[in-house]
Amino acid sequence: MSRRGGARLGGYAVLAAVGLVAALALRRPELAIVAAPFALLLVLGTGLAREPRVHASLTLETTRSLEGDDVAAELRVESPARVDRLELALDLPEGIEAADGGDVRAMRLEPGRERVVPLTLRGARWGAYDVGGIELRVTDLLRLVVWEQRLRTALVLKAYPRPETVGRVLAALDTQAFVGSEVARTSGDGIEYADLRDFVPGDRVRSINWRASARRQALVVNERHPERNTDVVLFVDTFVDVGLGGRSTLDDAVRAAATLAARYLERRDRVGLVGYGGILRWLRPGMGVGQRYRLIETLLETGVEPTFTWRDVNLVPARILPPKALVVALTPLVDPRFVAALEDLRARRFDLLVVELDAAGLVTHGPGRVGRLAYRLWLLEREVLRARLERLGVGVARWGDGSSLGEALEGVRTYRRYAGRARA
Amino acid sequence: MGGLGALPLVRGSDTVREVGTRVAVAALAALVVGLLRGWPSLVTAALLLVGGIYAGQLVADDVPLDVAAPAFAAGTLVAAELAYWSIDERTRAMGERGDGLRRLGWVAGLGVATLVAAAVLLAVADAVRARGLGVDVAGAASAALALLAAVLLALRRGPSSA
Repeated sequence: MSRRGGARLGGYAVLAAVGLVAALALRRPELAIVAAPFALLLVLGTGLAREPRVHASLTLETTRSLEGDDVAAELRVESPARVDRLELALDLPEGIEAADGGDVRAMRLEPGRERVVPLTLRGARWGAYDVGGIELRVTDLLRLVVWEQRLRTALVLKAYPRPETVGRVLAALDTQAFVGSEVARTSGDGIEYADLRDFVPGDRVRSINWRASARRQALVVNERHPERNTDVVLFVDTFVDVGLGGRSTLDDAVRAAATLAARYLERRDRVGLVGYGGILRWLRPGMGVGQRYRLIETLLETGVEPTFTWRDVNLVPARILPPKALVVALTPLVDPRFVAALEDLRARRFDLLVVELDAAGLVTHGPGRVGRLAYRLWLLEREVLRARLERLGVGVARWGDGSSLGEALEGVRTYRRYAGRARA
Repeated sequence: MGGLGALPLVRGSDTVREVGTRVAVAALAALVVGLLRGWPSLVTAALLLVGGIYAGQLVADDVPLDVAAPAFAAGTLVAAELAYWSIDERTRAMGERGDGLRRLGWVAGLGVATLVAAAVLLAVADAVRARGLGVDVAGAASAALALLAAVLLALRRGPSSA
């Protein structure tokens, strides 16, 4: 522990010294009497002060939580000697807060008796946070000497993104070979009725449609649509983050990506992730609960790394963007590099859906007439950009304040149905 | 702190009162700013100014040995403790129940102990005045020994390591 003098030490030393010198200079013993208690406290305080040995540890009830949820924690403190005043401060990173505002506690410690301080932490924003930092400050009885120590333990609290409201997710135009929840356009073994056809040797008897066979005087069988899964790649724009007043497009993008990943994985779809920005991150498409956690853990590392490099979709390995995959881009449509990547993906015949994280509400116009005019021009440019994407057959779902993600997706469901036919 | 400043002003001559009032106002301002901003050096300055008023009154009026010195000493220490305590409380640490009362009791006890010790010192000072040079020499020698002991103690402890 590092030792230093408290605020009283310097003050009392000055008062004692000035008082004693003044007593000598002015020949007034009363001044020495006034200064003597300060001098006595200094001698006693510095002479009797012993370095404390305090052991402190922090434990969390759980290391995973949803953003905004409370996590119970316990701070255990013990000292072999008596400690008159111990101040414990949790070194909490930005994004984590003590729910009851008590991240700094003061207490007395009796020798050998462990104190357990209950705390409540809250992840205000999604992310992985190191919460293992504890600052100790011990003062002696006379408050003249202060010992300080900084403890650091490996303790990470992960605040997962809050789920958004989504009723139905948008289905991919093409399905894959594995069994899933999406009705394929092709015929095969399934539940949904597709058509009738003539019986051929090898057809199962149970698939014969006896009523139709009786009418035609020949055996006909039912054809059905098989249930297949789809590949979905979440394509997150990490070039830029537009934020205002506690809301940011990157936060929304991560929440939307986590929600969509969970919903698609529930349908037995394979879901992958590409973080496209200053740092390129990707996760190969997969399915199951494990993939859900892998996706969210990767999303927690998402951040904006400023770069001037022009990225290209060619940098993304082919196995990350499988053929016939539905690519769901989550972007504020602000950075031209990301828009170029979207056009590139569309040119490669990927089934592309853009969830536009509406940045218009997060940007205010500049001062004066020119500022307002520039703002209007910027809004018009965005309209042009949306129209350009829609001409390419890309559905653009605008998601902003006051609407749920589900509502935004419903807005493009019809468009995708007809755009899909036009492309087919 | 107001009482400490008022004591020499009430007892002092017109000149002391005139000058002392201005110094007391300055001390009060320093104390208020120090407490509001959390600057302990201003608290020390305020206490020095109040002590200066007291010293000025003693010198200007050339009073014999002041019997109010123990009360002034205890008051100064209590005022200093309370002012520094106030600065300590500026930290946002959540204390335990009863901490404030316990600390208040400690400060009160410290004040009483100071009062008693200062009264003893005053009696000793009075005795020294009556007995002359021999006691002066003994006092100087004991003060030198105390200073030597303090220096040796500080050297023995040495600087602490982080």
